[in-house]
Amino acid sequence: MSTLVLDRLRKRYDRTTAVERVDLTAKQGELVALLGPSGCGKTTTLRMVAGFIAPTDGRVLIGDRDVTQVPVHLRNTGMVFQAYALFQHMTVAQNVAFGLEMRRVERAEREKRVAEALRLVRLDHLADRMPRQLSGGQQQRVALARALVVNPAVFLLDEPLSNLDAKLRAEVRMEIRALQQRLGLTTLIVTHDQEEALTMADRLVVMERGRVRQIGTPEELYENPADVFVASFVGNCNLVAGTLERPGSFRTQSGTLLPCTSEAPAANDGLVLALRPERVTVTPGEGAPGDIRAQVTAVTYLGAQTEYHLDLNGTTLRASRSTPLHDDPLRRIAPGEKLTLSWDAASARLLPAETETGDET
Amino acid sequence: MAALVLPAALLVFTLLVAPMALLARISLNHYSPTELMVEAFTAENYIRAVADPYYQQVLATTLGVAFLCTVLTVLLGFPAAYWLARMESNRKSIATILTLLPLLVGNVVRSAGWMALLGNEGGINAALRALHLTSGPLQLLYTPGAVIVGITAVVLPYMVLTLAAVIESIPRQAEEAAANLGATASTVFRRVVLPLSLPGVAAGSVLVFILCMNAYATPLLLGGPQFKMMAPAVYDQFVRGNNWPFGAALAFILLVATLVLTVIGSMALSRRYRG
Amino acid sequence: MTISRRTLLSGSAALLTAAATGAPKNAVAQAGGQVVIGTWGGDYGELLRQLIDQQFTAQSKIEVLQDIGNNSPRKSKLLAERQNRRGSMDVSCLSDSDTYQMMQQNVLDKLATDRIPRLGTVIEALRKDYAVPHIYSAMVILYNPSKVTTPPTSYADLWDAKWRGRVGLSDILYNYNTAVAALAGGGSMSDFGPANKRLMDWRSLDVKIYPSNEALATGLKSEEVWLAPMWLARGYMWKKAGIPLNHVVPKEGAVPVVYEAAVPRNARNKDNAWRYLNAMLEPQAQIGFAERMGYVPTVRDAQLPAELAREISLTEAQQATLKTPDHAYLLQHTASILDFWNKDFKG
Repeated sequence: MSTLVLDRLRKRYDRTTAVERVDLTAKQGELVALLGPSGCGKTTTLRMVAGFIAPTDGRVLIGDRDVTQVPVHLRNTGMVFQAYALFQHMTVAQNVAFGLEMRRVERAEREKRVAEALRLVRLDHLADRMPRQLSGGQQQRVALARALVVNPAVFLLDEPLSNLDAKLRAEVRMEIRALQQRLGLTTLIVTHDQEEALTMADRLVVMERGRVRQIGTPEELYENPADVFVASFVGNCNLVAGTLERPGSFRTQSGTLLPCTSEAPAANDGLVLALRPERVTVTPGEGAPGDIRAQVTAVTYLGAQTEYHLDLNGTTLRASRSTPLHDDPLRRIAPGEKLTLSWDAASARLLPAETETGDET
Repeated sequence: MAALVLPAALLVFTLLVAPMALLARISLNHYSPTELMVEAFTAENYIRAVADPYYQQVLATTLGVAFLCTVLTVLLGFPAAYWLARMESNRKSIATILTLLPLLVGNVVRSAGWMALLGNEGGINAALRALHLTSGPLQLLYTPGAVIVGITAVVLPYMVLTLAAVIESIPRQAEEAAANLGATASTVFRRVVLPLSLPGVAAGSVLVFILCMNAYATPLLLGGPQFKMMAPAVYDQFVRGNNWPFGAALAFILLVATLVLTVIGSMALSRRYRG
Repeated sequence: MTISRRTLLSGSAALLTAAATGAPKNAVAQAGGQVVIGTWGGDYGELLRQLIDQQFTAQSKIEVLQDIGNNSPRKSKLLAERQNRRGSMDVSCLSDSDTYQMMQQNVLDKLATDRIPRLGTVIEALRKDYAVPHIYSAMVILYNPSKVTTPPTSYADLWDAKWRGRVGLSDILYNYNTAVAALAGGGSMSDFGPANKRLMDWRSLDVKIYPSNEALATGLKSEEVWLAPMWLARGYMWKKAGIPLNHVVPKEGAVPVVYEAAVPRNARNKDNAWRYLNAMLEPQAQIGFAERMGYVPTVRDAQLPAELAREISLTEAQQATLKTPDHAYLLQHTASILDFWNKDFKG
């Protein structure tokens, strides 16, 4: 296991730029997720690390070794593909042994390590099956064992859970994370699922249209998104356009004043107020003069959570909380009724408004 | 349902099974120079065909040519099929049409093209002379080589398209996975692409082998009078020799030889694939 | 043989030939009815139309339909229909050996001589009681005068060692080539015995075999070969096409080929068929075929222009020595001739 460094990595095609510039250092044993919508360049980045795509500029370093010019088969990365890419004409054991054969590991040693790897993914009883006889989850675990058995310097996962159903997905997610932590694997995972990224990764790289928007821990990204895109992509967020009335007070486009943090970015006009729905406290009734009042437009019951869609004189907000108990008056709130809102001013962050033509180069 | 299938079944029966049955019947008749065909139940035509060294040689030539052409089409067709299968979809349809294009030209016309190229006054000899590489004409036409080249050119598209369909079904990620695990390009081909293509190789080979075994126009036109394969020999007996019983017997020997080898070949290949 | 077996046989033949032939179009009969001519397509069929059919229909009001195909499908069809009460052909055009074979198979009717007045003008040697000779030619020796300064005089000269590798043969004329070998070896049209040794001698003299007459023409044109036994009619056409060729009539006597027309026993329109055979012997039609295809008239009163006559005709003396095939002998031996040609000579 080694560190992984992406140094000003860039990929241009004839007309388009797939990856603008990625700088990233993944520490030994760290799991970094590349997160973003499809076409954001996350898969291209991963494939540049594996060596399937040659970067236009920049370098890939594994440990201290610059592997930018090293062909795929000499890079010693272990990759798990979206569709598993098992060798359909080989048994499970033969699939897992393939990488060891390529490394000319002796037969006895090979068999031992294959058995170990299969035990690790709890498939030792299926060693002689053909891949097509296995379930999707089992195939996924064979792919994991096959990639891990060679002791790769870097572990690469390309949307590894997208072909599994929801229940299995959560299970395999835990399993991968546990394995990765147990073996101390330096890991790069590509995903478009923010929940997957938040639950598995030590750090996240949020990408959009070939550019890195923000790198940080799940908490940093959630609590302190760098821009509107990150705020909206990672978790749910109320995003309200407006201007700063005075420090600590934000005027929405419909004229409503809302309390906000006193830390404002330099650009005064063209600001966006970002407020997580769960930070909004709702209380039945009109409240006192000076309180923030809103009319309920819809109530969405989500089981553990309930979401309230609110109208504040033309400004819409969403609030969410754990579903109130039966005797709570909130439980009976219906559309058209009035609520009083409150939040910690520091939770309402100010972000510069997105400008489409921004600083693209 | 049965009523809907009936017309097709009848058509197949009348156009395929019935003539075959009649041909089988004819092959058991006796040939007489004056009567042409005398009703009989005799194996004499088969015995004569099998015992005669000349027809043994003709069958051996046919098998040899068919085998060589099949091997050649696999070797030549595989790279083309791989390239076709891994092409972007919009270009692929054009390339597929281009692969099919030669099939629009009849075998006779194509053979005529080869004759123009391979003849003593043909394109290749003219070029060789112009470059002062040869003084006299090189005998290219009317050689077994010309037949093999000609037949290979005819059947190559069948092989390419059959292989391409199978290669297309091999996920590219399987190749990437192998490379990622440390396999060089040649190892990826040997250990992943080739084994997974074997059903295509088997299907293509069977198809091509059958076509080669039954080649008629190409050996006739490019092989010259001294070169004999089974299909022209059958024709000879029917048309020039007027010996229908013997021609029918030869036709059935060709049919059985093709069938037996096809079955053995595809069984061997599929066993290899399973193992 | 029982009737049912015969039916099975003819049925099988019909099935096998159905794909190759196909019946002629059934048009509305003219006042004089129809006549269906089984013939080749190409030049021959076209010349029939131009030189015979138009005038024939104008005079007799009989509509002429052509049933076009090669000789072997036509033979198969005649054989297949032989048990039928009514056949599909009224006139069958075939070479002399094929016609003989059909006669042997009891397919053809005897000529109604009183219905074909022009039979009287036919050259004596070509007369038969079951077919009308339409056109004919003879197997002569073609040679390239710029290469062959001392022309050969006999078939036997084709075995002269100085022509090693310079004699070309057409594969499809295997039986006539064998006849040439037989005559050169001292045999006759009823004894091909000496042919086999002669053929093997030819083989050791590197005789060149071409798959077709056209391929042989290409070989002569490129001067790959200088001499070839071939129909004079073909030689005449090739000379017209610019191939440098002269011809000699061999002193052994040339083997003729006659294209004949006959009437199947079960023809539907027999009266019309006899009239058509008569029309085929008209001098103008005969001269037309000579001019366009190089085949010689079979009637004495068709006067060719002197120039053309010199190119394609045989003198009286040469006509007298013609080696007419012994069709009975050929039919009996055709299988063994083909076998020897394929297996020993070419093999």
